[in-house]
This record gives sequence, C-alpha cells and structure tokens, in this order.
Amino acid sequence: MKCKKAEKLLLKSFDTVLQNNDKEELEKHLKNCVSCQKKRIEYQYILGSLKDEDFPEPKPYFWERLQPRLKEKNKYEPWPLWKHWAIKAIPLSLFVILILVASIVFFLPPQNEELSQSGILLRNQNPFQDTIPLLEEDELENKNMMLIFTAIEENNGTRRYLP
Amino acid sequence: MEEKELVRLSKEGNHEAFAVLVKKYKTKVYNLAFSLTHNKETADDMAQETFIKAYFSLSAFKSKSEFGTWLYRITVNNIMDFMRKENRIKKVSFRENIENPFVQEDEMRIKEKKIIEERRRKLVHKAIQTLPEKQQIILSLRDIQGFSYEEISKILNILPGTVDSRIHRARKKLRKKLVPFLSQKGGNHEM
Repeated sequence: MKCKKAEKLLLKSFDTVLQNNDKEELEKHLKNCVSCQKKRIEYQYILGSLKDEDFPEPKPYFWERLQPRLKEKNKYEPWPLWKHWAIKAIPLSLFVILILVASIVFFLPPQNEELSQSGILLRNQNPFQDTIPLLEEDELENKNMMLIFTAIEENNGTRRYLP
Repeated sequence: MEEKELVRLSKEGNHEAFAVLVKKYKTKVYNLAFSLTHNKETADDMAQETFIKAYFSLSAFKSKSEFGTWLYRITVNNIMDFMRKENRIKKVSFRENIENPFVQEDEMRIKEKKIIEERRRKLVHKAIQTLPEKQQIILSLRDIQGFSYEEISKILNILPGTVDSRIHRARKKLRKKLVPFLSQKGGNHEM
C-alpha cells in the first residue's frame, strides 16, 4: 500500500470503523513505514486538541434580549409571506413580459410599404400598375371619381379631372 | 411538546413556542459561531441574528429536514457572510521565539498540563483560521462540534462524498501548517 492511500485510510479511521481488509492493510503499512507512523501521532495530537473543547456559555438573558429585536424587526416587515412570494414573482413577471414583447416585435405581420415611383422602378415593378384601372375605365363619371380619390390620397390638389 | 408542533406554532406567530426552540438550540448555535469567530460578543450577535433570520423565514421551512439542521445551515451562512466581510484568512505568525506547546509536556508538572493543552488548542485554532473558509467551517462542524458526516451533508447541502473529501483535504492542510511545531525535538510522542 502506498503512503497516499494509507493516509486516506488513516484519516477515515478517525471518523469511522474501517472494514477488516482496509484495517489490516493499514496496520501492515504502519508497521513498516516510519513516516506514516509519525503522521498518525501528529493527527491524533491535532484532532485530540480540538475535541472536548470548553465553550463559554452564551451571554445571559438570550431570549429576553432577542424578543425586542424580533418585535422591532416585525414593525418593518409586516408582510413576510408576501415578500417571500414577491421575490420569486418579480423576475418571473419580467421574463414573461420580455417574451410577450419579443413575440409582438418578431411575429407582427409586415406592413405594406408605399413605394415612390423610383422605388417601384428599382424593384422592376410596373410603374403604371396603379393607373391601368383608371386608363381602362370607360365610364367618364367613374374615371373622374377615381381621379378625385387618387388626388385626395396623394394630397395633390392640382390633379385635374375630365369634365 | 414535540419539535414539529413547536415549529408549527411558531409559524403561526406563537412566541412562547419559538422561545422553547431558542432555549433548545441557542447553546449549539452559539458554540458553532464561537468556534469560528473566537469572540464572545461576535458569537452572541451571530447567534441572535441566526434566530431572527430563522423566525422570519419560518414560512419557508418545509420540514423536509430537521429544524436543527435548517437552523445550523442559517448559522453557517451567517458565519460565511461574516468571514467574507472580515476577510478572515489571516497569516499565522509562527515566530521562532513562540513557545512550542508540543515540546514541553515531559518537562511540566501534571497540574500545568491543562495550560499546555489550552496553548495547543489555541495554536491549532490559529492554524485553522488561516485555511480557506469552507475548510474552516467543515473542520469546525466535524472536529470541534462533533457533527456526523450525514448531518454535515444536510447542513451544508452537499453530498456525503464531498464532505468526506473536504474533511480529508482540510485535515491534511492543517497538519502541514502545524508540522514545524510537531517535528521539533523533545516532543512527547506517546500513543
């Protein structure tokens, strides 16, 4: 057995009863290894000095001193249960709001953009697409109405209509 | 009255029930704080803080663990906060002229043995204070307070295997720190 394993078993032996196999191997190693024998004594000294320590008693009137502190703190924390849930609810709510905003932004249907004449030309679209219905209209009255509405849409008061 | 009943009554705001719990656990909580702070005032204050936190967190205590285990967990967390604030990793001044308590035993009379033991204990505690805080806490829980591995595992909320490895690492490190004092000539190495 190597010293590293022996030390591990040695430390374990201070807390629990070793299994027969391990115990025998450890004793066998300790008989022949001076360094590990020394380690065992050192650990016994160190751990022995920590055990059975006499602790001082807590200062007197522990509860009597604690009680007013509990009452004092209670004045400033009237809703402990509510607070407990609020601490968990706030980040959760923020997360839900973030998800909602993200879904609105990313999943809104794209708006149809109105293109200028040059925009239409750049996209190789027919610039006369909108005027074709006007040109094909035979009824004069209908044609005039279409011109009026087009003028209103484009805010162009100079467009003239045929009498 | 059973502890579970006391806890239930305390949750409902019964101060008398909580007083019984305080009386039951105050010494252990205080000892745990004292073993790491070595200051009576600080330990007392820390013990008080532990019970205040426990009282206002009673609604969160689900009885999955023992009340004592839960209380010690609060104590340990308080101690860790305190240690971080105070930056407790100090260098032990192992000066050459310091009286080595491991050397003198065979030269002193029996009635002075207690003084020697007290000096040893102080030296070992000084050495513990130079270890990382997790190792300080685990040595305190196991070797000073005497908690079992299972209890330590529940208090620190770590696996039993982790408790095992942490304790071993802490003890090995502690021994290395004390080797200069343990290996001086004249030491009484009786079994």
